[in-house]
Amino acid sequence: MDASGVNPRLLALIEEEKRKVIANEIIAKLTDTCWDKCITGSIGSSFSNSEVACLSNCAARFAELKMHIMQQFQKR
Amino acid sequence: MDSSPELQRFLEQEKQNMMMKELVGKLTSICWDKCITSAPGSKFSSGESTCLTNCTQRYLDMTMIIAKRLQM
Repeated sequence: MDASGVNPRLLALIEEEKRKVIANEIIAKLTDTCWDKCITGSIGSSFSNSEVACLSNCAARFAELKMHIMQQFQKR
Repeated sequence: MDSSPELQRFLEQEKQNMMMKELVGKLTSICWDKCITSAPGSKFSSGESTCLTNCTQRYLDMTMIIAKRLQM
């Protein structure tokens, strides 16, 4: 990406804002997705062990999938 | 705000990048929903892996077909 000639401070600001937006979006997406997949019964006063395991696995698998798809894209 | 041609080019590139990222995000959601039908494990099962690969490839094939159609 050639951004020569653009104010470097503006670039740095844009990059920082992008990082914040992306981080927030990832958290929101994972929360939605993994809640739907893992919290399927009645809701208790804390998460059960299997729910905790599921949520942890879910976040890891989803991130893994996204990485994988990005790589597929770059290959095409 | 600076509206130099360099900035225009940069912003156009950023738009392209964002569109690409949106498509990746959408594809991830769609194939996740289609293929991960039970509680996720510590890794993808081979069935899930196959489904996810197929889903990604077919979806991308479809976007190409549609794009070509619209050019006619």
